[in-house]
Amino acid sequence: MNRILVFAASLALLLGGAAHAGTTPADPRAFVYIGWPNDGQVMPAGRPFRVWFGLRYMGVAPKDVAYPNTGHHHLLIDTDLPPMDQPIPSDRNHLHFGAGETETMIQLPPGKHTLQLLMGDAHHIPHNPPVYSKKITIYVK
Amino acid sequence: MRRRETLLALAAAVMMPRLAFAGRTPSPPGAEVYIIWPPDGATIPTGKFWVRMGLRNMGVCPKGIDRPNTGHHHLLIDTDLPPLDQPIPSDRNHLHFGAGETEARIELPPGKHTLQLLMGDYNHVPHDPPVYSKKITITVK
Repeated sequence: MNRILVFAASLALLLGGAAHAGTTPADPRAFVYIGWPNDGQVMPAGRPFRVWFGLRYMGVAPKDVAYPNTGHHHLLIDTDLPPMDQPIPSDRNHLHFGAGETETMIQLPPGKHTLQLLMGDAHHIPHNPPVYSKKITIYVK
Repeated sequence: MRRRETLLALAAAVMMPRLAFAGRTPSPPGAEVYIIWPPDGATIPTGKFWVRMGLRNMGVCPKGIDRPNTGHHHLLIDTDLPPLDQPIPSDRNHLHFGAGETEARIELPPGKHTLQLLMGDYNHVPHDPPVYSKKITITVK
């Protein structure tokens, strides 16, 4: 009976883990970061600014390309991380860079904003383990 | 009859230049590759460092995969540009990043060195027009 309980518990743990990540493996060392702007930076209002995507121990590939240990960048603006086992939404808060871009220009209204990068696989689903950056805060004035 | 021949000749004339360029992958207008870090003239205190590769108006795609407006990075160390109509050599002076990498950890002996980036298409051949960075000089202590 005890053994069955332990088995059931491990099964639940395993299934729980699987539900929190996609199925495409990523190098455990892989990390993505925002190279520019810096956390806490003040950006001038009314002007687009560059966001630079940094990626280590992993490569970039356009959407629909399944190549080992690659993915494409998604920039999350003013939002939390989406579910890690589903395609990343595509809207004003979740910008997709499915053509393999490694930087972009964006313009934001005055105020406090957050930026975060999240890698997605060929089908826009986060990897296992998921590869996402620190969420930074910038001020547009 | 004569008219048909003229038309054929015209069609052939239109087709020919396309055939002549069949070997080179076109690069998108405005494509620009640059070395984000290290900066030109930098002095590196240790021989090991990360090179950050920047790319604008173009995307990154691993080798062997033909996608429009993409390519992969090649880092030229202590060498001039290779012939631009042939596959980029692969040796200690020409590092290939065919897995879509946008950063590279490299190690160089003390002294002056030059670094330059050159994009290659899915077959490692530079684009038309070619996309390469300024050649920078760094000093390793």
